Amino acid sequence: MKKKLSLILAAAICLSLAACGGKGEDTSKSQNGGASSSQQTAGSDLAYVKDKGTLIVGITEFEPMDYKDADGQWIGFDADMARAFAESLGVEPEFQLIDWDSKVMELEGKTLDVVWNGMTLTDDVQAAMECSVPYFNNAQVVIVKKDVADQYQTAESIADLQFAVENGSAGQEVLDGMGIAYTAAQDQATALLEVQSGTADAAVIDYLMAAAMTGEGTSYADLTYTVSLNDEQYGVGFRKGSDLAAALNEFFKTSYADGTMQRIADTYKIGDKLIEQK
Amino acid sequence: MFMTVVGALNEGFVQTLSLFAVTLLGALPLGLVVSFGSMSRFAPLRWLTRTVIWIIRGTPLMLQLYIIFFIPGMVLPSGNPWPAGTTGRFMAASVAFIINYSCYFAEIYRGGIQGVPAGQQEAGLVLGMTKSQIFFRVTLLQMVKRVVPPMSNEIITLVKDTSLAQVISIQEVIWAGKAFLKSSHGYKGLLWPLFFTGVYYLVFNGGLTLLFGWIEKKLDYFK
Repeated sequence: MKKKLSLILAAAICLSLAACGGKGEDTSKSQNGGASSSQQTAGSDLAYVKDKGTLIVGITEFEPMDYKDADGQWIGFDADMARAFAESLGVEPEFQLIDWDSKVMELEGKTLDVVWNGMTLTDDVQAAMECSVPYFNNAQVVIVKKDVADQYQTAESIADLQFAVENGSAGQEVLDGMGIAYTAAQDQATALLEVQSGTADAAVIDYLMAAAMTGEGTSYADLTYTVSLNDEQYGVGFRKGSDLAAALNEFFKTSYADGTMQRIADTYKIGDKLIEQK
Repeated sequence: MFMTVVGALNEGFVQTLSLFAVTLLGALPLGLVVSFGSMSRFAPLRWLTRTVIWIIRGTPLMLQLYIIFFIPGMVLPSGNPWPAGTTGRFMAASVAFIINYSCYFAEIYRGGIQGVPAGQQEAGLVLGMTKSQIFFRVTLLQMVKRVVPPMSNEIITLVKDTSLAQVISIQEVIWAGKAFLKSSHGYKGLLWPLFFTGVYYLVFNGGLTLLFGWIEKKLDYFK
């Protein structure tokens, strides 16, 4: 009896394995087919989003781009624009907090449709995602302790500092370009934490973030930002090959032309850094 | 400020506890099934089970989380099969944790079962008991006693491992604490909430330790 049972179980497992194997072949075939067909019918991603009726927007908490108001609603320049874009497509926006390092995987795994979170358009980002045109100007700034800030106001003066910088960030690219050594941190906040605790002398983070996170009323009251190392631009990321990027570029144009985009940016006091869309 | 932070961390800790509870509910029984598979006298089933245990124990849980959550959406033509929003992420995390932990539990069970002297089974057979009677009436309770210390070890590890689920954006207590590093609930750049999450783990694991001590005492009558 026992033996029979285990025989049946084993047979069932073998069968299901075989079935899985079979399925694997099938999907690889259809994937190959899918690759060519996705190039022919490039409309598929837009159609896919419209068909399911939701636009899943990947964000992190990042004031003033994406953050929660007192009622728990996602607001901010990016959140408001994402909502308006979803509306223009006739779909519901769904905001999803993500682990920033997983953003490309999230897109490819279709657990997200778009990454819209003050994302700097670097070469890496543009290689991994289908990006919109730039819509916002940002800069990478150097964070140091307030009491030594006077000594580090130029790009030359910072060469000998111990840096902490978010792994894979635009700041890291800048430091690489300048040939300055650094410790890679998990995110911008951790990079700040390194400076605060003295394990690093300086960090390189976004201007927007630096303005929001340092100074009075934060745990980083004795940190400040000094020199801007480069100018850079924010864009929105979609799945590789997605036609949603083109749709968003069109949307930016109309939204800029009728003043909506400028008005939303002004709401969050960042209107002066908006990039003209034409 | 303290109350706001504690409120946010509590929300996160509810996620931590849910994942912990669901994993235990799934992995405790599944582990027993897997341990039977790994002890089966039918060699193909035994080797298959042991291969699965080898793969699951031999790769990082973090990698398993990535694979279970992201790969289906990449290979299935119908797209991501997990339900939208937090639900799907929680389901994926639960599946990954249950599979992972049932493999560890299975080995602990196996140790507990094989640790019961073979003479007792022989005695049962002589008395005309069936194999299942022997397992349920003779082996099982002794196994339970034997596995309590290693299981308590593994279960305490599970409490802390739930923090890995943040790689697929489960907003558990460490995520909630880290959110204050940037900005959360109207506060910006707070450091202490992240470190404060340690108190949650300590208190909960303290409770678990007491519970397991009590269970061990209760089972003391088997010598």
